[in-house]
Amino acid sequence: MAIDSLVLGAGQQVGKSCVVVSMNGKRIMFDCGMDMAYHDHRRYPDFSRISHSGDFDSALTCIVITHFHLDHIGALPYFTEVCGYSGPIYMTYPTKALAPLMLEDYRKVMVERRGEEEQFTSEHIVECMKKVIAVDLKQTVHVDKDLQIRAYYAGHVLGAAMFYAKVGDTAMVYTGDYNMTPDRHLGAAQIDRLQLDLLISESTYATTIRDSKYGREREFLKAVHKCVAGGGKVLIPTFALGRAQELCILLEDYWERMNLKIPIYFSSGLTMQANMYYKMLISWTSQKVKETYSTHNAFDFKHVLNFDRSMIAAPGPCVLFATPGWLSGGFSLEVFKQWAPSEMNLVTLPGYCAAGTIGHKLMSGKPTKIDLDKNTQLDVRCQIHQLSFSPHTDAKGIMDLVKFLSPKHVILVHGEKPKMATLKGRINSELGIPCDDPANNETVSISSTHYVKARASDTFIQSSLNPNFKFSKRISEDESGSWLKDRKFMPQLQVTDKRTAEGILIEEKNKKAKILHQDELLLMLGEKKHEVRFAYCCPINVSNLEETKSTSDNVLCTSDRCSWLQLLNNKLSGEISGGNIQDFGEHLQVESFDISVCLNDKCRYRIIDSQNKSEAVFFCCTWSVADEKLAWKIISIMENFDCESH
Amino acid sequence: MEELVPSSSEPLSPQTLASFRALIISPSTPQSKISSIFETLTRSLELTPDSLVLNLLSELASRHSNLSHLVFDSVRSNSLLPSESTRLAAESLDALASISNTDPTLSSAIDELDDRLFVSLCFGPSVSVRSWLLRNAERFRISPYLLLTLFLGFTKDPYPYVRKIALDGLVGVSNSAVIEDRSMINGCYCRAVELLSDMEDHVRSAAIRAVSAWGLILVASNPETKLYWSDDLFVKLCSMGRDMSMEVRVEAFDALGKINVVSEDILLQTLSKRVLAITKEKRSLGQCPAEQFEILASNVAGVLVHGLEDEFYEVRKSACHSLRALTIISAEFAGEALNLLMDVLNDDSMFVRLEALETMLHMATFGHLNVQGTHMHMFLGTLLDSNLLIRSATRKILKLVKLSNIELFRLSFDSLIENLEKHPQDEADIFSVLFHTGCNHGKFVVSIINEASEEIDQASEGKLGFDSARVAALLVLAISAPLSHGEHVCSIPPRIFSYAVTLLGRISRALTDIMDQNALLAYLSQCSISTTFSATDLNIRRGEPCLPVANIEIPNDTSNEIDGSTRTSLQQEKDGASKLQSWTMREPLELAAPLGGFQVEVHDEVMKPINLILAKVKDIWPSIHSGFTNEVLRTLRNLKEELATFTSDSVGTIGAVAFTLQYLQVIKQLAKVWEHFLPAKKLCSSGLGELDLILGKLDMRLRELRSRFTGLSMEQELQILELVLLTCTLRLCKVEICCHFATLKKLSTTVSRVESILKSATIEPTIFISEVGKLLCLNETSRSEASCNPFKFKELLKHFSLSQFVLCGRLNQIKAELTIPDNDSENPLPFVSRLPVGIPCDITLHNTSNENKLWLRMSMDDESTQFVFLDLNLFGSSDEVRKFTYVAPFYKTPNAISFTLRVCIGMECLFEGVLSVKKYGGPERELTYLCQEKEVHLSMIGEH
Repeated sequence: MAIDSLVLGAGQQVGKSCVVVSMNGKRIMFDCGMDMAYHDHRRYPDFSRISHSGDFDSALTCIVITHFHLDHIGALPYFTEVCGYSGPIYMTYPTKALAPLMLEDYRKVMVERRGEEEQFTSEHIVECMKKVIAVDLKQTVHVDKDLQIRAYYAGHVLGAAMFYAKVGDTAMVYTGDYNMTPDRHLGAAQIDRLQLDLLISESTYATTIRDSKYGREREFLKAVHKCVAGGGKVLIPTFALGRAQELCILLEDYWERMNLKIPIYFSSGLTMQANMYYKMLISWTSQKVKETYSTHNAFDFKHVLNFDRSMIAAPGPCVLFATPGWLSGGFSLEVFKQWAPSEMNLVTLPGYCAAGTIGHKLMSGKPTKIDLDKNTQLDVRCQIHQLSFSPHTDAKGIMDLVKFLSPKHVILVHGEKPKMATLKGRINSELGIPCDDPANNETVSISSTHYVKARASDTFIQSSLNPNFKFSKRISEDESGSWLKDRKFMPQLQVTDKRTAEGILIEEKNKKAKILHQDELLLMLGEKKHEVRFAYCCPINVSNLEETKSTSDNVLCTSDRCSWLQLLNNKLSGEISGGNIQDFGEHLQVESFDISVCLNDKCRYRIIDSQNKSEAVFFCCTWSVADEKLAWKIISIMENFDCESH
Repeated sequence: MEELVPSSSEPLSPQTLASFRALIISPSTPQSKISSIFETLTRSLELTPDSLVLNLLSELASRHSNLSHLVFDSVRSNSLLPSESTRLAAESLDALASISNTDPTLSSAIDELDDRLFVSLCFGPSVSVRSWLLRNAERFRISPYLLLTLFLGFTKDPYPYVRKIALDGLVGVSNSAVIEDRSMINGCYCRAVELLSDMEDHVRSAAIRAVSAWGLILVASNPETKLYWSDDLFVKLCSMGRDMSMEVRVEAFDALGKINVVSEDILLQTLSKRVLAITKEKRSLGQCPAEQFEILASNVAGVLVHGLEDEFYEVRKSACHSLRALTIISAEFAGEALNLLMDVLNDDSMFVRLEALETMLHMATFGHLNVQGTHMHMFLGTLLDSNLLIRSATRKILKLVKLSNIELFRLSFDSLIENLEKHPQDEADIFSVLFHTGCNHGKFVVSIINEASEEIDQASEGKLGFDSARVAALLVLAISAPLSHGEHVCSIPPRIFSYAVTLLGRISRALTDIMDQNALLAYLSQCSISTTFSATDLNIRRGEPCLPVANIEIPNDTSNEIDGSTRTSLQQEKDGASKLQSWTMREPLELAAPLGGFQVEVHDEVMKPINLILAKVKDIWPSIHSGFTNEVLRTLRNLKEELATFTSDSVGTIGAVAFTLQYLQVIKQLAKVWEHFLPAKKLCSSGLGELDLILGKLDMRLRELRSRFTGLSMEQELQILELVLLTCTLRLCKVEICCHFATLKKLSTTVSRVESILKSATIEPTIFISEVGKLLCLNETSRSEASCNPFKFKELLKHFSLSQFVLCGRLNQIKAELTIPDNDSENPLPFVSRLPVGIPCDITLHNTSNENKLWLRMSMDDESTQFVFLDLNLFGSSDEVRKFTYVAPFYKTPNAISFTLRVCIGMECLFEGVLSVKKYGGPERELTYLCQEKEVHLSMIGEH
């Protein structure tokens, strides 16, 4: 059995996310995003690779969407309404609620501002959303008889989830975008320790390791506090969802603790409405917000007031959240124009601003003059504070997740090619897990687990009910090999419980597989027990053999034989410490190693047909595999043993 | 009864059992009926063992203890057969254990139960019985080695719940500290480590506990491999810091906080998510094997950072807490960790912020808190926090913190003012902080005051009202300056001190821990006369070790400069009992070090925590006074344990630790004695004898405290003497207690010693001391019996309150080590009856001087005792350590085949009065013993 992952988007790039995974006859499409950088067919994944005939319903079992960002959902209405997919689509409740807003907003921008040809209409979005089945966290959804999916909290944005999918014995997780460290309003990704064949992870920050968020928060608060304490105004341009709420919670908390009375404003529009969503979807937020919402909903901002255009010129300090982010236009730019010329004021910018926006210009160096357009130049004297919060996990987070889940295979998507290669190497070398970073339209095939259902025999069940543990001492190899060698290292005490370990799987033709207890095997096969033993006829030099022989009339009598063995016994017990040598008169035994005097001159275990065999007494040795080391040790002792009898 | 008992051998019906139960429970059921119920139940148990019957029987045993033996035997013989049903057998075990719990006479019977039965039940197929047995294993007193084997085996159980219980069991076994075999310890540790990657959260949590418990034992087991295993343990625990389960993470950080040795590079790595360049370069971490370097490094990297920014406050709190132990290990680490902790002050959970502040306080106590300019915004921000606890925690740190430059000092001052303006209710505490920081940073104070003196003068113009919080704060700051040890003290204008007098009430309320109102007034008045005077005085004092820097003296002639009101109050002071307290004695330890700048360097590290302990002792006085004896004893026990952790080798601190231990003993006895003097307390059970006994113990402890330590300053001696006076007073207020005369005599000798100290060191006596002196004076003049009135002495007790002991100088403990070589019960010394025998003693003496009179006391079983004088002039001249062998003659050998002699070294207490009944040839005064008693075994020659 194999899992085939066809990467349709976000292969070695950050952009449209779309991976189609086939396992055990099921085909799941994870995410259906679009690439905002392109305006032609390249903005969508190449759906024709799924099915040439265009019959997507039979080619795909279902679609799973991780969160509402356009690079994860942007192509969905196109795929369902234009390409004609009508199968089930799964996403979390918040994603289902927020996705239409995002799609509609995007459609408007495309059509109304850029005057582009419409890819899908408002009706398309509505129709598409009708096909969506909403799921809750940790709810196991049976897509059909064989396929189960389950959502896990991913942080990142409101409603983002990682998806677990299982067909038969094959299981995998697709992470979507996730964040391993919590922020002020969302928690860290959380998942169970699962048995996985495959993990498909994002890798936006494949090599970056971020410091503690605390430092950046502190800098931000310090800058804001200093500005308002000096009577200045703070402008925070943001997008509607996510960042605005996070920063606002941070400020609220600080305001509360420091007992500050300076007003915080939200510009009218989407932001206030977005707060409503947060308030309703409280179970998707961070632990702290969840814990306290019964007494105070963190999104019920106490100090936040609505902002009126007339207040731009009003005197006195304040903090204003205004859309859109990046100062790309609209209200935030309008306010910026008014406030920028005073050095008392402050503008905070996110770590990333799209090229061409005012935000981008402000970030590159500290310009004193900015050209708004050909005719207007703006005098920028205000302070500028950059704060780079990112809702994506960093490289350490990815490693931590991979280590925690320990899947059999990892595929990286949603990242930059050279950085992904570095991370791939680390996963390979540090965690010992095979890892791939396929490019778009490539398919990765990996083998998957296959389980056999088997009946168990009564004896086996009986034997596995009762504990049956054994202790053994082992000198651990990995440690003895290291520098510890020169120290007194200690043998490790090992525990094994044999009750489940000792079954034997029988697969007969036309019968169901069955597990037997090892004692039953011979009975069932009607065979006798065979034991493989090694044998070697070992000569021992005896210098005064002639003498002995003469006295004993050329025949070694029984008592002589015994005395040879006796001598050998003495020798061995001197050399082997700890070995338990048992003397049975006719033969000696050490563990499974058996020695007796060999009188057969043509013994077939005799290797050396020595010329002076008259000077040697032969001992037949047999032993089983388990005692091989011991056997060779004894034989080497015997071969070096010069028997000075009498 | 017959109607209740079915005649046939059928099992008892539930109804019958219910009625039995009613009868068993009812207290009015006659004994005969109970016996017959017991018989019926026993018979039923014999025929058809049943858990309901079992329950009833154990109920019966618990209510009718006369039958418990019978029930025990019946249950043991009837239902303990594992062949019947493992569940029933387990229930029987339960019943047996609970019966033996209620009846202590059966506790040996439960020991006799076969371990094999328990083990075989564990190996049965029933999982619930197995887990129950493992959880309750301790009740059955299974031998620890067997238990360990069982638990270790069951960590392999396929049922996660059993694995968890087995791991918890392992932790339990580790606590009993019986297992000493190193490979066994190692085995447990490694097994627990394997389970750190279990699929179940609960098992992983339990595994962390087990890894920590066994790891710590492993670390302690061999000093050679200590660091290696400690690093190993630390790294293993770190690897769990990024677990997905909150409980597991909390457990991991809790466990990290218990480690007290780790390589510094590992520690530093925990604070950086990136693998540090230096670590990368040498490709190794601490003592860990190099080939696993990458995975190790990624396990450790930034774990504490992750912990501190965790989503769950429980984890953040635990991570903060773990820093306490870790910051002591390395100063560099402490510095790095502080950067993070300062950010934690911005946490949204109050608990976490508080924990962070507590951790900083802890760091400050151990001298690892190095506050930088960049921290100030965040740190001082907490002074404006709306939460009272947070503000007060911050101020506690501020008291201790040493600021490196005046900018930081100014920032702190401004923040404190802001704090004062926003939260006026904090005033007392803020003033106290200002005073303390002022003492610590005299130079900065002077420059701030000089800048602001105009402002102060303006405020004082016309009316002497300093309503402005800022001016009040400045005044408090200003008056602290003379107490800091620097050359700049004199530059505070004297008029400032007279301004401060107008705020006397407010300031003295803030400084209750340092001085009382009168002392403050005297101090202010004196400084306002002339600071130069006090400065020169200070300089003289500084040359003298162990004496507090500041000296407060009431000028002999009431000078004209003092305004009227002050003069009158001073005059009041002068006549009779001066209530001025020697404030330096009561000064909290935080100040002790900076004030006595000349002595701090040496053993500052240990002295601080010791003084902290002594400060706590002072704090429990109110509890002693109001009779919460049990709590007090518990606290003292904890303090003793805390003290036991100071294992410093430096000579000076050994004495200090020993002294503190002794002091704790004294307070313990005092607390026990005090219980008998509580008005409401009825102590009918404990007779007078007990009080006598404890008082005797108290006397002995005090004697040791007084005589066995050299290097005590006069103040310190005075404090001990005060306790002696207290003991005498306590004795005198109980009419029943005999030897009135001797006690009175002791009281008067002690008082005379106190007076001589007061005279020579010019220290002001406490109220209690002066009151005792007055009463004694009265006694002597009147010579009447009435003056010995116990009620008068009882009155005295009111005046006593425990003052804080501050250790500063180097203390030496006089002690001795005594061994009798090659002697034990197998190898006795030979002797001939009725002839003297020489006993060879190897003696080591520490810190003795030739003036000390040492005696060797030898006593036999029949209490006959002989003393031998050790003339120190004969044994070397070194005061610090003398080592010699001395053959002590023992004269009165008995007419016996063998006997044992108990030998001990004692020292005469020179301050004690000569014994009234002088033992022939023995010491003249009471002895304090310098070592443990040693047994010497002697045996008649030729009797072997």
